[in-house]
Amino acid sequence: MFRYSKSIYGGQEQLIGASFDLLSWFAVAGIAFVIVHLVAAALSKSRNRIGH
Amino acid sequence: MNEPNKNKSTGEGASDGKVIRHTLFDRLYHWTMALAVFVLMGTSFLPILGFKFQWVDIHWISGVLLAVLILVHIVRAMVWQDWRHMMIWPSDIRDIFRGLIATFSRSATPPARPGKYNPLQKLYHLGSAVFVLAVIITGLMMMLKIDTPIWRRNPYVFANTTWGWIYALHGLAAMAMVTMIIIHVYFALRPDEFYLTKSMFRGWITRKEYKDHHDDQQWKA
Repeated sequence: MFRYSKSIYGGQEQLIGASFDLLSWFAVAGIAFVIVHLVAAALSKSRNRIGH
Repeated sequence: MNEPNKNKSTGEGASDGKVIRHTLFDRLYHWTMALAVFVLMGTSFLPILGFKFQWVDIHWISGVLLAVLILVHIVRAMVWQDWRHMMIWPSDIRDIFRGLIATFSRSATPPARPGKYNPLQKLYHLGSAVFVLAVIITGLMMMLKIDTPIWRRNPYVFANTTWGWIYALHGLAAMAMVTMIIIHVYFALRPDEFYLTKSMFRGWITRKEYKDHHDDQQWKA
């Protein structure tokens, strides 16, 4: 989740930012939302159609 | 604090069957902000994806533009517009749950017609506001690390650990914006929401769209 680096003088690892490997996961989260909403909207539409 | 409705006319009606939804100023704001956001995302993520170019200057200038736009938007929303249209009220939470339940149950009570913005749009606005403010605040701090026409860089303002958290927060909020933009574009392209997308270009919706989709007590037009 985070990127760390070690000083050239040694010592503890230092936090330097977020890991950019997460970028694809954020994109997947957006696509997953779209798919879930499409399914829910289709489900809702078919229920309404049956109801009428 | 009251929900937006009742005694105050907040929409702008037009006699020719059009209901003004977004003024020219608001549309210009929206599209300039969209341009700034896309430039910011391009100049931040394309180098990470392997497209190398001199991105720093374009990035911080676009970031300052975005910060100014957001500041103008906040002042305008608080002073000249009815900010209560975008607040999440208990009735919005109720309608989100009603909408969810109605998806799976035919006998459930459907959500009430919304005012100018529906509960999910308000929720989206809140999420975007959190992420955009996070990238702007951390981004302005990060500008202390670069030379600009106004100041010379000074990376010693914060300790290394603090810089690490500032960079981490900036990155996480920027990546979260990718999710938000995918969701935004999806809703903008949905046929049932497309009348709203059109209104972001031409400024108005038809009187029929207004009556079909909105509660005229909460959004008077």
